[in-house]
Amino acid sequence: MEAPPDNDVLWARSLHFTHPDGSPGLSGVSLAVREGEILAVSGPRGSGKTTLLRCLSGLVPVREGEVWFNSTPLHTLGPAHRERLRRDRFCWIGPEPGLVPELNAWENAALPLMLRGTSRRRAKTTALEWLERLDVGEIARKRPHRLRQAERQRVSIARALAPAPTVLFADEPTAPLHRADRGHVLRTLTSAARSHGITVLLATHDPETAALADRTVNLLDGRPVRTVHLPEVPDAEGRAACSISV
Amino acid sequence: MLDLRLTRAARPAVQLRRLLVAAASAGTGFLLLSCLGYALHHPGAAGAGALRLAWCAVPVTATVYLALAVARTDPGTRPRPGLSALGLGPARLTAISCLATALATTLGSLLALLLFLRLRGELPGMRSAGARAAFLAVGEPLPLPATLTLLAVVPAVATAAVAVALRPRDPRPVRRPQRRYLPFGRSGAPVRADGTVPAPGHPEGAPAAPGGTADPEPAPAATLAERAVLPGLPWAVALLAAGLTAHAYAGRTPPAHAPTFATLPGEAGTILLGWALTAVGLVLAAPGLTHLCGRLLQCARPGALRLLAGRILMTEAARIGRPLGVVCAVFAAGYAMTTLYDAPARAFGPLSALGALVVAGCAVATLLTSAVQARQGRAETTDALLRLGAPTTVLRGAAALRAFALLVLFTPLTLAVAALAALPLTR
Repeated sequence: MEAPPDNDVLWARSLHFTHPDGSPGLSGVSLAVREGEILAVSGPRGSGKTTLLRCLSGLVPVREGEVWFNSTPLHTLGPAHRERLRRDRFCWIGPEPGLVPELNAWENAALPLMLRGTSRRRAKTTALEWLERLDVGEIARKRPHRLRQAERQRVSIARALAPAPTVLFADEPTAPLHRADRGHVLRTLTSAARSHGITVLLATHDPETAALADRTVNLLDGRPVRTVHLPEVPDAEGRAACSISV
Repeated sequence: MLDLRLTRAARPAVQLRRLLVAAASAGTGFLLLSCLGYALHHPGAAGAGALRLAWCAVPVTATVYLALAVARTDPGTRPRPGLSALGLGPARLTAISCLATALATTLGSLLALLLFLRLRGELPGMRSAGARAAFLAVGEPLPLPATLTLLAVVPAVATAAVAVALRPRDPRPVRRPQRRYLPFGRSGAPVRADGTVPAPGHPEGAPAAPGGTADPEPAPAATLAERAVLPGLPWAVALLAAGLTAHAYAGRTPPAHAPTFATLPGEAGTILLGWALTAVGLVLAAPGLTHLCGRLLQCARPGALRLLAGRILMTEAARIGRPLGVVCAVFAAGYAMTTLYDAPARAFGPLSALGALVVAGCAVATLLTSAVQARQGRAETTDALLRLGAPTTVLRGAAALRAFALLVLFTPLTLAVAALAALPLTR
């Protein structure tokens, strides 16, 4: 095994993944993520974007292929090590905010810091700063069920950014939002990541979202492709067949 | 057929819970049948027979309570978005819950009948050996209608309770008072919660002010329940005090002999009333106490562990608190009757022991089932926490801390209630 080059923070080689029920996930994905870049993983639904992010972040064990993070081989680590890595170096934003309903907004944002052992006062200061930066400072004391979806998603982004992770995995972070909210949330996410030098892996099926990234990797049926060219769908296929048969 | 197949194809833990319901139903059915046997054996003593039958209300209630908790936890009867289009909508799922409950309880009743017949020696090829107890009424023919009626009590009541509790309901819009004050302990002035009128000078198009918009979705039930648990606490304490007072009132005249389950002395009515009030008070007080316990756990600059443990306890107070109160009431009564009262041993025959076992077992099983239900309800949050990399030790530690805090609060409470209830009678 050979360690990846220095400027690549995350690196996958011939990654294969099959879901536990036997359905194919990834077949032979190789990619390298440079430090501080925003890499969009693009492709239609079901093309393996989420699976790739789950493999790279160590949420699922990798059986075939290699995943390296800063010269740490993720594919050889056990669940406890991967969990510690996820806590200390990675962060995750999903399509659902996934906030803890019992905690208010700033406590949610401060939770990863507190889980890392930061003192409560410092965690609170950092969380409130990030909430201010993401324009949701005034709702810091509200519980998630009293927030709107866009606000919840912003709290979720603040929670991911507050511990200053090395790599941020964003899996369709704007999927449940309207277009106006979507643009705003994405711009805050990308600008915050750029100003703090955080590497972002952004899974999205939306070309507009992918345009905000530095580089785009297209996935199709679990394989990286250069361009997605799907065959044109003839718009009246059934009608023509019927008229011939009748 | 589909209902039966869905009922059959469940995980072992679910089947185990259903077996528990069946076992409780079997115990209760046996108690009911032995009442019938007693009445057959002593045709003259109608009052004593009726009293025994009345005592059976306690195990019947406990069994129905357990069946309800198990039906609520059943994963097969959760609404499934995809299957609603196939006709497995909420109404059909309620029917499946009712069927599963009816199956389990009927199985228990049949087991009770088999055991009863076996002890009477009526099954072919089996002669019962050992002493003939009076409640078996050996030699008397067993009346079929009475037997069937008694055995049908638990299945019918349990199924009806499940049908009423799990009937499909649309979520009602949350009606809020015009002015609402923040709960005690939170900072802030009175908050206007309706917020239909925007604040003067509020710019159009900008994000609305905090608290100025109606919630797009109703608050989760747990949060509403959380608001509802604390106002019940004063009433619960009043009921508890009234119950203990009734005990003291009954204890003014020392009883001629210790009360037994079948022959109650004159002042036993007051004692029973006292126990009923005490039990209701405990059941009503437990959610509020659980909430306070959680609040104490998370106060004073908590870290992640205490924060998670305390807040979750506060949210789950209504769900966990009621069964916890029932367990407390059952154990307080059991403790007082077995150890604190004078001459406690006379009260306990095999049937009383079986009844006590059914009631205590049902109470504990209901508490555990409610804990499972709470855990299922939090599964998504737990997943999100694990994705964040929260160590499993923190999550388990929070759960252990919750259990420990509840134990620390409720064990002395139970013992104190038992001691106070028994105090006037043991002087």
